[in-house]
Amino acid sequence: MDELTATFIDESRTLLAAMEGGLLQLEQADAGDDNVGGIFRAAHTIKGGAGVIECRFIEAFTHIVENVLDRVRAGDIPVSPGLVSVMLACCDHIGALLGVLVAGQPAPPQEVAAEGDALRAQLGQWGDDDGQAADCADGSTVPLSEAVTASGGGVVSSDAWHISVRFGTDVLRMGMDPLSFLRYLTTLGEIVTIETLADAMPDAAEMDAESCYLGFEIRFQTRAGKAEIERVFDFCRDDCALHILPPQSKCSDYLQLIQELPEDAMRLGEILVRIGALTQAELDAGLAAQAQPTSVEFDGDESGARAPLGEILVGQQAVRQEVVDAAVLKQATVKDRKIAESRMVRIQADKLDQLIDLVGELVISGASTHLFAQRSGLSELMESTSVLSRLVESIRDAALQLRMVQIGETFNRFNRVVRDASRELGKDIRLAITGGDTELDKSVVEKLGDPLMHLVRNAVDHGIEPAAVRAERGKPHQGTVRLNAYHDSGSIVIEVGDDGGGLAIERIRAKAIARGLIAEDAVMSGAEISNLIFEAGFSTAEQVTNLSGRGVGMDVVRRDIQALRGTIEVRSTEGVGAAFCIRLPLTLAIIDGFLVGVGSATYVVPLDSVVECIELQETTTGRNYLNLRGEVLPFVRLREMFEIGGDVPARQNVVVVQHAGQKAGLVVDRLLGEFQTVIKPLGALFQHLRGIGGSTILGSGEVALILDVPALLALVTSAEEKLVSPAPSRGRPSGTPDSQHLILQPSE
Amino acid sequence: MSSILQVRQAVPAVLAGSQPVVRDDAGSLQYLTFSLNSEMFAVGILNVKEIIEYGGLTQVPMMPAFIRGVINLRGAVVPVIDLSARFANETTRISKRTCIVIMEVVEGEVRHDIGIMVDMVSEVLEIPAADIEPPPSFGARIRADFIDGMGKVAGKFVILLNIAKVLSTEEISTLAAVYPGDARNPHLDG
Amino acid sequence: MTHTQAPSAGAAGAAALAVTDDMTVYSARARKEELLSALAASTELELDLSAVTAIDVAGVQLLILLKREAAAQGKTLRFSNHSPAVVETIDFCNLAGPFGDPMLIAAHSAG
Repeated sequence: MDELTATFIDESRTLLAAMEGGLLQLEQADAGDDNVGGIFRAAHTIKGGAGVIECRFIEAFTHIVENVLDRVRAGDIPVSPGLVSVMLACCDHIGALLGVLVAGQPAPPQEVAAEGDALRAQLGQWGDDDGQAADCADGSTVPLSEAVTASGGGVVSSDAWHISVRFGTDVLRMGMDPLSFLRYLTTLGEIVTIETLADAMPDAAEMDAESCYLGFEIRFQTRAGKAEIERVFDFCRDDCALHILPPQSKCSDYLQLIQELPEDAMRLGEILVRIGALTQAELDAGLAAQAQPTSVEFDGDESGARAPLGEILVGQQAVRQEVVDAAVLKQATVKDRKIAESRMVRIQADKLDQLIDLVGELVISGASTHLFAQRSGLSELMESTSVLSRLVESIRDAALQLRMVQIGETFNRFNRVVRDASRELGKDIRLAITGGDTELDKSVVEKLGDPLMHLVRNAVDHGIEPAAVRAERGKPHQGTVRLNAYHDSGSIVIEVGDDGGGLAIERIRAKAIARGLIAEDAVMSGAEISNLIFEAGFSTAEQVTNLSGRGVGMDVVRRDIQALRGTIEVRSTEGVGAAFCIRLPLTLAIIDGFLVGVGSATYVVPLDSVVECIELQETTTGRNYLNLRGEVLPFVRLREMFEIGGDVPARQNVVVVQHAGQKAGLVVDRLLGEFQTVIKPLGALFQHLRGIGGSTILGSGEVALILDVPALLALVTSAEEKLVSPAPSRGRPSGTPDSQHLILQPSE
Repeated sequence: MSSILQVRQAVPAVLAGSQPVVRDDAGSLQYLTFSLNSEMFAVGILNVKEIIEYGGLTQVPMMPAFIRGVINLRGAVVPVIDLSARFANETTRISKRTCIVIMEVVEGEVRHDIGIMVDMVSEVLEIPAADIEPPPSFGARIRADFIDGMGKVAGKFVILLNIAKVLSTEEISTLAAVYPGDARNPHLDG
Repeated sequence: MTHTQAPSAGAAGAAALAVTDDMTVYSARARKEELLSALAASTELELDLSAVTAIDVAGVQLLILLKREAAAQGKTLRFSNHSPAVVETIDFCNLAGPFGDPMLIAAHSAG
């Protein structure tokens, strides 16, 4: 596939998403004309792009869609649910056609074509009857009505019609406003650029206010033929000078046009370039190729070609300085806009990933160099490596920033999901999206689609009750599914909530017992029971629907989230609603860590979870909590938890960590300071290991393990709960009755 | 890394070479033999990537004892398995000649590098198919499915290991998952 | 009189003028004379277009002519408070750049 096609496909997918979003908004009422315009422009751009890459089947179909949208925009067709549904189906179909293009097939296969025909028939009810749509309905190319006669020179790159019109001086006196013709022209297509020429207007003294002196140079994009364009000017045809050049005309045709028009050739050339009918190169090449200096009023000034056009024009008294200034100013703004557009660079994601990997290696070797420099004791070397470290840090941040994307786009996809799913189920459900501008790593976003899809479908399918039940419970008729995202202490939190029935705790409990997940007499809180739905093989769906009863359970959702180093929790109130809360790291590649030592081992605590460090004042109580400025701070001794041998040093330190509002202390031997670090996954062998999030390589070449603070705290909490709960709880069915062994006691 | 040396003196160049000759016309296979608790074992040379000196190991807590830890192998973090502990629950004692043999294990479409700790690497041998006996049903004091066969070398038996089974990621990670419930580690719960 | 002379802004020759009627061919001839004489009477003229409810090519021509005359005479001429009809037309003819006056363009884009 060539690059142009690839770009077209890429952009079209984005535009389709925009179209879909717009249509869904349209359906939700009170969306303004802007919205319809946006939908129309998206279709228009896809059609134009398809034309450029000469993909006729996409062009033809999108053209029909565009025509209908155009009439919606003009207010000829009212917005109705039926229209939106058909339009959404059309979006899907265009997507399918793009798939055909991606697959490299020359034409859509039977079933896709049949789908297209069906949609065409549906669109027919809104189609205009001037035969224009019918022309394209057979999928063939719209023929250009006029053959372009070649008269030397290349074909210009411009793909629009060029219309040049000079109205007769009496047109106003005949009761016609030339502007109304031009406005009428827009019903046939789109005016890309227009330039008003007043060169023919005499000085104030001679100027007759009732005469028309204006001319227009217009770039016009349309499917209509030359005859149709000419018809627009029928009423004033006899006394206006009209030139129409079809798209892809020869340069020489433009040059001929320049000569035929009354205005100065240089000025016209400049205008044609400015409105985009010709490029400067084409104009120059065309002028050179013609090699007829007399045909262009160059006045024999050899240096003229090199002097700025504006100066020449002023020199020739062709235009006044201020007109040139304004024009130049305008050209400058146009140029600025072009530059702004070209500032966006599309790059392949894997190139970016490669860069991030390299930056990761750079961070590691930078840290190692810094370490050696410190050991060497050479102050100049140390200084230079610390400058280097700072630069590497900046590069790291900048590189990671490249991959940050807003989550909104992912969220917006669910508008359609909720709409379609709720229709299928006969429910009235609205999707409320907040925090769409929250940024996170692209690699995380990509892997988030499936679990989110599952959660949203679950909410629609099982969460929101049927209308009758809602009425009974005194809830609003319309159910709400919420998607929300926000940043929280180095993590991103994504919530999927609904105001539906919530989780049926007793049913889950019964099921969990039946499935052997918990003991029959297990003592568990509602929250604990709710979170059982993430256990493997658990599903509360009483009936299998084709929406989320796809055999994929919540355990898969949890596994997906855990694979992203994230956690998922559910909060539910029966009868009121449920909310799934996903907590994810911002990036998967690099973290800032805080290095601690226990015995001979070194561990990395993710810096964003570290609150402060204090010295451990040994207590005699033997209990694992301390008094942190009047606050009770539970702590865990890593030496015991990780079974690390060796002597306990006289002074130990506590790293106070925080996660999701919960504070705890980690008791370590030594505090070794901050360290930026590249996460190396531990591999499949350690996939079930909890409490360790990954590993990293220190400057010394040694591997250090990265602590997973949330998981670590959860481990300690569950162990502690067992300690305080006398009844056997939550053991595996065949499980060891081991609660007596669960002793969390300091050895001192 | 200066701490990692390639140990090659006892091993022919084929180990480090890029195209090991694996099977000759007579259907013989090449094996790397090593000793473990004064017993001889062999693994197919195809799986062996390199042999390094023991050292630079980082222990991973809350894992079964036979997972000794992880090492930094030129930027990659590679787990190291203590074979003796895997077979018989006896932790290998570190000596001067202790080595880590880096093996490549293919499971489905995924390749992992896993290191195994051995007391001493001896040599690369060619064992003709005719000299390989089926594994004994018992008596080897090793799980039968870990053994591919018994090779006869200079009148003695060498245990040919089924490395895919011994280093099965699925089995090991599952063992690791249930490990915290083990009575030896009473203060944790998975 | 279809337009009214607003109080002078103080500086000698500076004036503000509001056009209080349509700028179409029907009044173009009279309008041309009024506006040209207003320009002749001041060195700096601000033309308030807020009350122009309709404008056609004749009106557009007039605006172009005034700008041209002002420049030729070395005077400053500003159009201000463009009415929606004027904005739409100037935008349609793509004259905002050449005129160079700040103009409030509604958030919709011409498409």
